[in-house]
Amino acid sequence: MPMSKTTSLDRRRFLALSAGTAFAATGLSACAASVNSDEDGGGSGSKTTLTVMSQDNELDKKTIQAAEQALGVKIRFITFDDTKLNAMLAAKNPPDLVRGLGATETPYFAARGLMEDLDPYFAKSSVLKSSDLDPVNDVWRYDGRRQGAGPRYGMAKDYSQDQMFWYRTDLFDAAKLDHPSATEPLSYDEWLDLGKRLVKRRLGKVKVYGLSATSLGNFSTLMGMTASAGGSLFAEDMASLDFSSPEALKALKWLLEYTKADIGPNVANPNPDGWDWPTYQANRMAIACDGYWFGGAIGGDPKVAEVSRFAPAPQFGGTRVSPTFGATGYWIPKGAKNKDAAWKFFEWYFGGQPAKDRASSGWGIPTLKSLHSQMPQGTALQKQAFEVQQQELDYFKVLTFTPYAQLAALDSTLNQVLPPMVKSGASAGKVADKLNSLMNDQLAKGKQVLG
Amino acid sequence: MSTTGQLTTPAPAPAPRAVAARGAGRPGGRFGSLRQRRALSFYVFTGPWMLGFLALTAFPLGYALWLSFTNSDGLSPNPRFIGLANYREVLTDQTTLDSLARTGLFTALTVPLTIAAGLVLAVMMNQSMRGRGVFRTLLYLPAVMPPVGAGLTFKLIFDRDSGAANGLLDLFGFNGVSWLMDPYARWVLIVLTMWGVGNIMIISLAGLQDIPKEVLEAARVDGASPWQSFTRITLPLLSPVLFFQVVTGIIAALQSFAPLFISLDASPQGMASVPQDNFLFMIHVLTEYFADGRYGYASALLWVLFAIIMLLTAIVFRLSRGVVFYSVEPEAARKRPRTLGGK
Repeated sequence: MPMSKTTSLDRRRFLALSAGTAFAATGLSACAASVNSDEDGGGSGSKTTLTVMSQDNELDKKTIQAAEQALGVKIRFITFDDTKLNAMLAAKNPPDLVRGLGATETPYFAARGLMEDLDPYFAKSSVLKSSDLDPVNDVWRYDGRRQGAGPRYGMAKDYSQDQMFWYRTDLFDAAKLDHPSATEPLSYDEWLDLGKRLVKRRLGKVKVYGLSATSLGNFSTLMGMTASAGGSLFAEDMASLDFSSPEALKALKWLLEYTKADIGPNVANPNPDGWDWPTYQANRMAIACDGYWFGGAIGGDPKVAEVSRFAPAPQFGGTRVSPTFGATGYWIPKGAKNKDAAWKFFEWYFGGQPAKDRASSGWGIPTLKSLHSQMPQGTALQKQAFEVQQQELDYFKVLTFTPYAQLAALDSTLNQVLPPMVKSGASAGKVADKLNSLMNDQLAKGKQVLG
Repeated sequence: MSTTGQLTTPAPAPAPRAVAARGAGRPGGRFGSLRQRRALSFYVFTGPWMLGFLALTAFPLGYALWLSFTNSDGLSPNPRFIGLANYREVLTDQTTLDSLARTGLFTALTVPLTIAAGLVLAVMMNQSMRGRGVFRTLLYLPAVMPPVGAGLTFKLIFDRDSGAANGLLDLFGFNGVSWLMDPYARWVLIVLTMWGVGNIMIISLAGLQDIPKEVLEAARVDGASPWQSFTRITLPLLSPVLFFQVVTGIIAALQSFAPLFISLDASPQGMASVPQDNFLFMIHVLTEYFADGRYGYASALLWVLFAIIMLLTAIVFRLSRGVVFYSVEPEAARKRPRTLGGK
């Protein structure tokens, strides 16, 4: 029938047109990503828009306004979100600057060719000189095999040696315990023993935590402990790991004992606040395993500051090491549209006034050596923390993370495996075997994808 | 005819076939025939939806299907085509099978529970009583609350060391319980799911109010007890509404992200801290995508879930025959659509 033919044809055309428009629309973002803007004085007169993915407590409105004024750009702020970042990278439309944890993310992103090599920028910069960079910035270097060497892919805004700890003298005094030394590190067993003595319980509930030892996450904690025992979780090629080595097994046994003792937030009873400060401030935590940055929070509460002290990272013996697991900073994606403008932001943020402000705030160790002298020493606590921190710097070490898995994936496996195995009283050896099997499978799959 | 009164040569009459063709295909008027105008308005109104469907549903579905045949991690430049390997892995991956079983159990528990609770509340709220509006509002309020907010509240209530639930137990001298960890976490999750029962109540209430009062009145006059009226009249007449809730409830439960709301946070770290008993299928999918970076495998998981949902929906439709009663037979309605002015 002619009429139905006509209608049918129209419908087909309509569908084809819709599909074409829809696919064109979905393709637009990809096209946009491949078009470079006329950022650097392209002559259009319009300001470059710099897209920055960060957290609003690290890049607040005031800082954004200051950056816009200082750099003559417009900043589009995107709240940091792992899933959103992955989606933007996958869509080849990444932000111009991304907040990241240099210690654990650099190998993953660099090995996938997603990070811009910043060596040429550093070489030309008069603000950020290589000689002035704190060694922590080496966690942002990756040579294709290991961190600490090769091109620089980012820079830390500040850092802490994350296995150091803070303690409350009032709770130690109440328990009639000696204060830990400010110069000599405790052994992990001494540390655990202190936690057991300091914990206060009532009817199956912990009223005062004796020790919070895993606020960094379980995998990072185990990695640091294994290093302190003189070993390494990862194999030389980073494509496998071994919890059964004597050093790793020692660390694992300790973690299982800590979890079983239930003297602080742990994998079987996580901290509902997500971090230590609220509990520590409420006089409900005696020892908190947090780096220098935690002093920024403590300094804001004079009463807590009066009863707080900083101490070196506990050790398993062997070589004394005190690594960082964050070295939070920024990197520029290879697919960023405004790399030169992003670098200008780098120089301003890492070498300008914001860097000086951060250095004197006490929320982290500055990442430029020239700014170390600006760390706060005004109060008794700040002075004590500064001295302890200065001694600890000698034991800083870059621990290489694998490019074949993300930290979250390995933590996920630990969180799934540990609670039931702790509950069933499984031996450390059995736990190690289970973790080896699951995590090596994860790493093998990651390696297969990366090729 | 000309206005000047001059005679003009009349134009030759068009051939009858040409007139017929013009009349059928093009019409008389600027916007064409009635049929064409109707077609035009159909396209104008459905166009935006169609664009949205193609760009936001069909394209991602197709893309995910393609990804499911690769070993893509979403970031590496050259994903490899690996055929059906991801689908084969679904069948042997113990984590996947476990999460699927947990999700099945969660669905089997929460769907009947929420529908029954919603129905009971709806029946209660359908009675004449003082303050009915207030009760309806109060019962519906939790459904309005964003799930993230509800999850946060639940985390605070059920925290082992400082939560209200253990505070209550403490008052009576009982030991505290780790509610948010195994083996209690699954019950907290079920209670959290029940928290949104107000939605079900509202839909059931609308269904109840659609039942003609005369039918219930006639049953009462004939001597039917309230229970008989409920089971023999109310439930059958409400069955299409309940059936709708069963189908949508199953789909929602299979796709549930609720465990994330009572985990530490909603980032990949949050996925990592979901206790084993609450590690449902979608949490596994999220972990595979964004923690493990296995876009190909996670996409295969989603397609498997899609197939399972289709299969379950078909089974539920099949089982509903003879149990669900429509006031208008769907078949009859299709054959004789009501039209304006029609008989």
